[in-house]
Amino acid sequence: MDHLSIAPEKPAQLFERAPLRPGDQVRTLNYDDLHRWRVSVGFRFFMAIPHLIWLSIWGGGMFLISPILWIVTLVKGEPPEGLRDVYAMFIRYSIHVYAFLYLAANPFPGFLGRPRTYPIEVDIPPGGKQNRWGVGVRLFLALPAFFLMTSIVGFGGGGGGGNSSGSGGDPVTTTLSISGGAVATVAFFGWFACLARGRMPQGFRDLAVWGLGYSAQTYAYFFLLTSRYPNSDPALAPVAPLPPHPIRMRMTDELRRNRWTVGFRIILLMPHYIWFFLWSVVALLASIVTWLVTLILGRTPRPLHNFLSAYVRYASHLFAFANLGGGPFPGFVGAPGTYPVDMEIDEPERQNRWSVLFRGILALPALFVYSALSGVAGFASIGAWFYSLVKGRAPEGLRNLIDYVARYGAQVFSYLLFVTPRYPYSGPADYVK
Amino acid sequence: MRLAAYSAAAVAVAVACVWGGTALWDTVVPGDLHLNTRAAMDAFDPATVDEAAEFERVMRWLFIASQVVLVAVLAVYVKVGPRFQRESAAGPIGTGFLLGMMGIALVWLIQLPFGLIEIWWARKKDATDVGYIDYVLGDFFGLAGEALFLCLLLLIVMALARLLRGAWWVPGVAVLAGLFTLLAWGSPYLVPGLEKPSPQLQADARPLAKKQGVADVPVRIEDVHEWTEQPNAYAFGMGKTRRIVLWNTLSDEFPRREVRSVVSHEFGHLQHDHIAKQIGWFALFALPAAFIVTVLTRRRGGLGDPRAIPLALFVLVVLNLLASPLTSGASRRYEAEADWSALEATRDPRAMVALHRRFTAEALSDPDPPGWYHWMFDSHPSGAERVAMAKAWRARHR
Repeated sequence: MDHLSIAPEKPAQLFERAPLRPGDQVRTLNYDDLHRWRVSVGFRFFMAIPHLIWLSIWGGGMFLISPILWIVTLVKGEPPEGLRDVYAMFIRYSIHVYAFLYLAANPFPGFLGRPRTYPIEVDIPPGGKQNRWGVGVRLFLALPAFFLMTSIVGFGGGGGGGNSSGSGGDPVTTTLSISGGAVATVAFFGWFACLARGRMPQGFRDLAVWGLGYSAQTYAYFFLLTSRYPNSDPALAPVAPLPPHPIRMRMTDELRRNRWTVGFRIILLMPHYIWFFLWSVVALLASIVTWLVTLILGRTPRPLHNFLSAYVRYASHLFAFANLGGGPFPGFVGAPGTYPVDMEIDEPERQNRWSVLFRGILALPALFVYSALSGVAGFASIGAWFYSLVKGRAPEGLRNLIDYVARYGAQVFSYLLFVTPRYPYSGPADYVK
Repeated sequence: MRLAAYSAAAVAVAVACVWGGTALWDTVVPGDLHLNTRAAMDAFDPATVDEAAEFERVMRWLFIASQVVLVAVLAVYVKVGPRFQRESAAGPIGTGFLLGMMGIALVWLIQLPFGLIEIWWARKKDATDVGYIDYVLGDFFGLAGEALFLCLLLLIVMALARLLRGAWWVPGVAVLAGLFTLLAWGSPYLVPGLEKPSPQLQADARPLAKKQGVADVPVRIEDVHEWTEQPNAYAFGMGKTRRIVLWNTLSDEFPRREVRSVVSHEFGHLQHDHIAKQIGWFALFALPAAFIVTVLTRRRGGLGDPRAIPLALFVLVVLNLLASPLTSGASRRYEAEADWSALEATRDPRAMVALHRRFTAEALSDPDPPGWYHWMFDSHPSGAERVAMAKAWRARHR
């Protein structure tokens, strides 16, 4: 899938994209330049209120007439063209509004969801014939995608205006439901960053773009605009490449999964969880020592660095295995290069003492984002479990999502445990092709 | 040279087992006690006996079938199990964990239908009200516990085997016996939420404990109403942690004299150090078993090599089945000793007879099971044997 690179010099490039064909996946486009107008950010929720009201009304109407769309599509084998266009506009509009609300883009959006009018855009493929069985049971088929979307974006998912109050893109409600979705969580912390720097952190923006893109796919599938099932693969998101970082994922997983070890994965995890708990207790004590020593020396001593690196690596191996992001049973010592989802960790480097002193506080936003993303990986792993049990291989999209969270988790804990001074990068860019 | 060493080891193990087994086999039950089980059957209502016999007949055959399947599955696993090595990114011991856990997980899966049929049968006969989902979930959690325990065993065994190769089993059995002693000592801490008994039960238990030389052992009550209506009691702990536990299905619903009899029976286990003796039996069993497993797994690289784990599991299960008459026999002797101890302390054989009549009626426990099955697998004396013992005690003390 092709997608627009970051911040093109001319937004007109948007119009150069090859047109979609019937049956293609919904395409997300991103030409946001990360710049944010502080005044608009400060009053973002209040500015979004008219949009949220209009989105609720429009969304309510769309849900109300969706049975008509369903029946007509079931009879004709494809959605009626006029109605289809209205739904496409609605989905596009809802993505514009939520991109604005969640700080994934800067400009105030229009009210009609016109195509090619907003930095975060979705292309919806033209209508075409659909399998009637697929149309008939679409509600049930869409449920797993809705669950995953809810964990990524938050309740409402950026698509259904009727539920906008639940997700709470505003700082107040987001505070209350901060674990309600990864995108809502980055929006909350992004709000402070934008106010301070006039710029949205790239990782936060990209996570939001990926999440909103997935929600657009989900709603397009649910509203019968496409028969293509939503794909949560971060590789399909139009995001910036991964910036250099001392903690990098090295992926050699081939997607094959042994059905027996998938079926009994919970049992196989038992000794690992006990071992992980014991190691975590020791790692906690070691991190206190590391904190004091790094504060004095300005650098983490190599033995402590190696010990904590092994812990971080082991935790990521275990995370991947537990969530079906990796196939084989992992080792217990976090040795480098032993697992198909591995973390390369650079040598210790000099650290800013102020950053070391306040590391626990500085890491809080990343911990919250990681907590939300862990929930996403948890949902993804349920789907991956059933799929792997039946097919004997993991679904690539879910595998990539889970391992992206494993990489982010490794960066978060490396930062927290003084393995690296570099802040974790939350963007889902590990697989940008 | 190696043959001579193995032969010497085998002789030493055999001597140790015979000497230890003889010492552990002895109980205080008079050797000349004549148990008239046929006459004892008169104490039971014939209709209840028929119902219990029918119930247990099905349960017995299900058990036998599940054991056959267990051996068959593990025999196949000996062949196919090592293939799971491909699914491991762990070192040898970690891979051993994987192979061991997969082995018991497959056994669990294959045996699950037998368990479900047992539940169906017990529900049909009103012997349980456990639901099918509750059973599967409970069994699955049990499997998780077994997996953890197996990993601990494999960690000890494989680490020692990698360190000491063929000689691992000598210190290995000592370490495992030590571990079991630790578990036996610490097990009361693993059962939280036990309550103190009623003042009346405390008053009944105190003189019995004193008489049986276990005055420092407390009685505790476990609330089990949520998951069963069956009566039960047990003794556990060692040294300062010793205690006896009565399920409230027994303490609340059985007549006072029968509860006294149960309490005294459990004190009897502690009076005669049955828990320590069971550890002794474990060591006696583990010594030759570890030796045999070591010899048989040599071709697969020994127990330090994960490829040997499926074979080791198979051999251990077969040895366990072969040793079952011995271990069940020892267990029955200790239960009989605890019964005798209770009779001496309570001097109330009528209560014991009534108690076992009630067990037969409520738990549908067959008072007169087939001899071969009783000899091979039953860990407790039959209802008829226990009633016969009560009557024999009364005859001696007239």
